[in-house]
Amino acid sequence: MAIQIVMDHTGDTRHWFDPDDIKALSKAEKRFESLTSVGYTAAVRDAAGKATVTRSFDPAAEETLFFPRLVGG
Amino acid sequence: MLTERVSTATRCLWRSVTAGARNVLTWRERYRAMMDAREARGITLLREWLSPMQRAQFDATKYFDVVGCDTGRRYRIHYGRVTNVHQIDEAGQPVRGWCFVPSGGLVAGDTMLVQKIALETNEQSTLAVANRFRVQAPRGGPTRTPPRRACSV
Repeated sequence: MAIQIVMDHTGDTRHWFDPDDIKALSKAEKRFESLTSVGYTAAVRDAAGKATVTRSFDPAAEETLFFPRLVGG
Repeated sequence: MLTERVSTATRCLWRSVTAGARNVLTWRERYRAMMDAREARGITLLREWLSPMQRAQFDATKYFDVVGCDTGRRYRIHYGRVTNVHQIDEAGQPVRGWCFVPSGGLVAGDTMLVQKIALETNEQSTLAVANRFRVQAPRGGPTRTPPRRACSV
């Protein structure tokens, strides 16, 4: 199972999906596009735990984190 | 007769006042439990994404250090949501503060995780939106708590 984690005021909301399920994968891709189109940044991390920002949907990503846009304090 | 009625009315009034107070207390407890759960979720997520070294440092000190991807500068991210990022020197002393946060009023753990990813993957753009603030070198030792300074977010 893969997961998309969306940060929000509740802490985070987690969306699990089966990457082998075409329908679920398509839904995950739509979620990726809708979140990034409203300013969310997507980050994935490799096996060593290093985070990378990604601009396009990666169907092989096991864990994708979405966080809102940064603002200066 | 009249005394009895007044006494009954007083009892009824007192009962409803105490019931109302109990409801308020219950509501406050529920609200506090909900906020604690949110904070805990944020910390759980943060710990999942920290490197083993950062996790150990955070567990021991409530802060962790990150290295900026563009300049190699070191930053210390303290537990908190605002004015909690300090650029540090080789000795671990704060040089200046940087104030930047994700929009949307996230909990502390989430905010700290965003700050870490931002500095480790997109340092220059992050600092371009951040506001600087001055921090004073500590007198008593190598660690310090972040200043409780107002920061408009």
